[in-house]
Parts: sequence; C-alpha cells; structure tokens
Amino acid sequence: MRDKSKVESLKVTKSNPPTPPFTKGGRGGITKVLLFTFYFLLLTFLCACTSHKERIYRKSKILMDTFVTITVVSNSENSAGKAIDNAFSEIERLEKLSNFFSSESEVSRINKNAGILEVKVSPDILDILDKALYVSEKTEGAFDVTIGPVITLYDFHKKIKPEESAVKKNLSLVNYRELIIDRNKSAAFLKKRGMLIDLGGISKGYAADKAVEALKRNRINSGLVSVAGDIKAFGLKPDGKPWKIGIRNPRIPPNPPLVKGGKGGFSDDVMATIELNDMAISTSGDYERCFILDGKRYHHLLSPKTGYPAEGCQSVSVITKECAFTDAFATGIFILGPGKGLKVLGKMGFDGIIVDSQGKVHTTPNIRGKFEFKRTS
Amino acid sequence: MNLNGLLKRTTIADKILLSILILLSFSGIIFVKKVLPASRTVQIEANGSLVYVLPIDKDRTVSVEGPEGRTVVEIKNHRLRVTESPCHNKLCMKQGWIESGAIVCLPNKVVVTIGDHEDEINKIVDAITG
Repeated sequence: MRDKSKVESLKVTKSNPPTPPFTKGGRGGITKVLLFTFYFLLLTFLCACTSHKERIYRKSKILMDTFVTITVVSNSENSAGKAIDNAFSEIERLEKLSNFFSSESEVSRINKNAGILEVKVSPDILDILDKALYVSEKTEGAFDVTIGPVITLYDFHKKIKPEESAVKKNLSLVNYRELIIDRNKSAAFLKKRGMLIDLGGISKGYAADKAVEALKRNRINSGLVSVAGDIKAFGLKPDGKPWKIGIRNPRIPPNPPLVKGGKGGFSDDVMATIELNDMAISTSGDYERCFILDGKRYHHLLSPKTGYPAEGCQSVSVITKECAFTDAFATGIFILGPGKGLKVLGKMGFDGIIVDSQGKVHTTPNIRGKFEFKRTS
Repeated sequence: MNLNGLLKRTTIADKILLSILILLSFSGIIFVKKVLPASRTVQIEANGSLVYVLPIDKDRTVSVEGPEGRTVVEIKNHRLRVTESPCHNKLCMKQGWIESGAIVCLPNKVVVTIGDHEDEINKIVDAITG
C-alpha cells in the first residue's frame, strides 16, 4: 500500500510540475538568482550580527594599592565579565590576607606576635612565605620579606630618609632565617620581637598567578593579568598571536605612574617589547617609589645588608612561568646587581633583562632575539 | 545552468533590483560596523564601581567621591583632565590634558578612561611591566 501511494504521488508530480526546471530564459532562473541574493543577504546579515566571534574583553580595578587590569579572550561579554569579576575577587581575598597596613590581615597577626608565639596561617600565606624563603636562599638573602623594620623607616611620599643609627638598629631585625614556617601545622613565627614581614615584593605576583587560575576555572583559555608591573599571560590572542608586553624605559618614568595617555596606550614609555605565552614577567625599577634628595636617588628596593637602596641597577625584568617568582626574583636580582644577578638567572634557568646603573642593557642568552628594542628619544 | 545566458535574459529592472539589494547588503555591514558603536566615551570609576559613562564630544565638568574625597574631572574639546583631587601627591592633576588612555588616582581610587574599540585594536602592547 505504502509503495503504491508513493508511486501515485510521483505520478502527480510528473503530470503536474509546479515550476519548470532551470531552463534558458525561464522565470525560474530569475527566481534562483533572487534566492541566491536573499541567501547572500542573510549570510551577510548573520555575519554582521554574530556574537560568537572571539573578542578581547578588559577590565581594570584598583586593588592591592595598585592598578590591576585583567584581559580575557571570550566569545561572550557576559562570561568574560563573570570570569574577570571572579579573578578580581580572588585578588581581593589575597589582599585581605597579605595587607601589611591592615590590622586584620594574617601578615599583621604574624608581625604582632613576633617573638611571642607562632600564628596559624591560611594555605595561601604559607605558600607565599614558602616561596619567599626559597627566593631568599637563591638570591643570597638579597630578597628578604623580613625587611619590614627598615622599610618602615622611609617615607617615600614625604621624601624622608632615616637616620643612620635607626637603620643600623633595625637592620639587626632583618633576617629571613629567623622566619620559621611549619608546613605541617600551617603556622609561621618570627623569632625576634620587633621583626616585621612585608610581602610587598611577592604578593602581587602571587595574586596574578591565582587570578589566572581563577580565570581558567571559569573556562577562559586565553588572557592576561597585570597587577601593576607583575604580568602573567596565557593562551593566544584572537588573531593567533601571543600577548605583547612592553618593558618600561627606566629613565623615561611615567608621569604619573602606571598609565599615560598617548596614541595606542603606553607605547611612549616602552624600551622593549616581548611576546609571552604561558609565561610571567615582572620588573623592579628604581623609579617606582622613590625620591631624590641632595642629588641622590632613594628608592624602595633596599638592600637587607645595608638598609639603603641598592645601587647597581636601574631596572630588572625577570621572565619565567610563575609570577610569584618573577616578582620576588626581580627584586632580589635588582639588589644583587647585574653581575651576580645574571649568574642567578642562569642558575635558575630564567630569562631576564637588566639595565645597569649606567643604562647598559644585559640579557640572558636565551632571550636574545625574543624581544624587540624600541628606540625612544 | 549557464550564468551568461541567464544574465542576458534578465531585464533591466531585474539588474537594478539586484544592484540595489547588493548595495543594501554592504550598507548593512557599514551600518553595523561603523554607526552602531557609539563615539568615544569617557568612563569614570570611583572606588571600584563605574560612576559615569559620558561622550567625549560634550564639554562638561563632573565630580566623583572616592575614599579620600572629591575628584573633579573636566571634559573639554575632546580632551579631559583632573582639576581637583584630595590625594597627597596630585599626580592625577599633574598629568594634565589627555586625549586617549587613562588618568589613575591610586590614593582616591579614581580611574578615568577614554576609549573605544579602535583603541584596543591599535594598541601596540597589551600590557606594560615596570
């Protein structure tokens, strides 16, 4: 029965065709052209309106007393926004734990209990302290989170440098070997009363690492987290290229800091650019928190051995996978100076760019050819 | 299926109609790409939240409240500057007029940005370290 009906319907079609097939001069030809045009229009319209194309989304916020910018590649504004907000929350959470000035922070609790008792800390603070001690060991103590008692003697806004006697006295409280961490109990202890830890040289980089983890948890496959000069990049841009990072020229400092107007953003102040994929970079410079008094530059990168600003470099950029390490090693290597600094970079297998106090640029062998110098004035 | 033959048989009216439709389709693209994205805007954020989104081409002066007090932003002749700020170092005011980019006042947590999508595309670097 079924077959019969099929035959019948075919017969009907054959005996009574609705439109002639595509023949020369037939109106059907025009109809087809019009249909093609309609199809073309529809495609064009859909292409113009499509929202599934990957785009770069960027948001900035002031966190950790600095300018934080998070950039992600996504095909939806909504999911990009949610992922970025989650990453900001992660940085905010870490800021609360590590803030030197807030009495509520875990760092303050460790400092208040210096020489008294050990303090239970969160896994994040334990992790930061663990990494900080590792960097101290590798930089012969040039990077030292117990620098607190000396750095608090300086006021970089009011251009106040401390008395020599005060520096000498407080220097006896600076020694990373007297910061004891107990991984099993998740606790930290400063051995002497008056000791202070300041995580300013590592916490921003650590926060960038954690923010990237938060973005990845939110299914972002490509992005860039920049906590001041501590930057971590992952994945590629929508055009298939890696993220391009500018390294600030230490002697054309931004005025004011961080962001300067000008065509195309920041390019005016950049000495070199480097492409990063799944890597982090940090730069420490003598132009950041500084003042000039009697012709001498006083900046925040203090030597734990002398209590005074280190003098061998203008800026140090370090490149490796973890931003906590780029952050801390950039500080440590700045304090060590170009000669020892390059050796440490070599031993660690990190890439780096050092501008010494004379303005000469030193680089690790692997990085040559990977970055591009810009001619500025 | 001979296209030449087909084109010979189309009337002038058909050709005009086709041309109009093709022109319309391209004008659609131009409309979507060029006209819909609004002109350059100024975004003013204070203490982490967006307070103003303003067109750069309309002169005006606005103020926002940050944790330290009032920051005043003046928009004039497609440029902007910070004219008043409670911060101690006044770096935001010293920056003067800007035509693109941003002015950031860290102490009072105010971020003023001029931007459009073109800026993002033309950006030479994606971030800066140092």
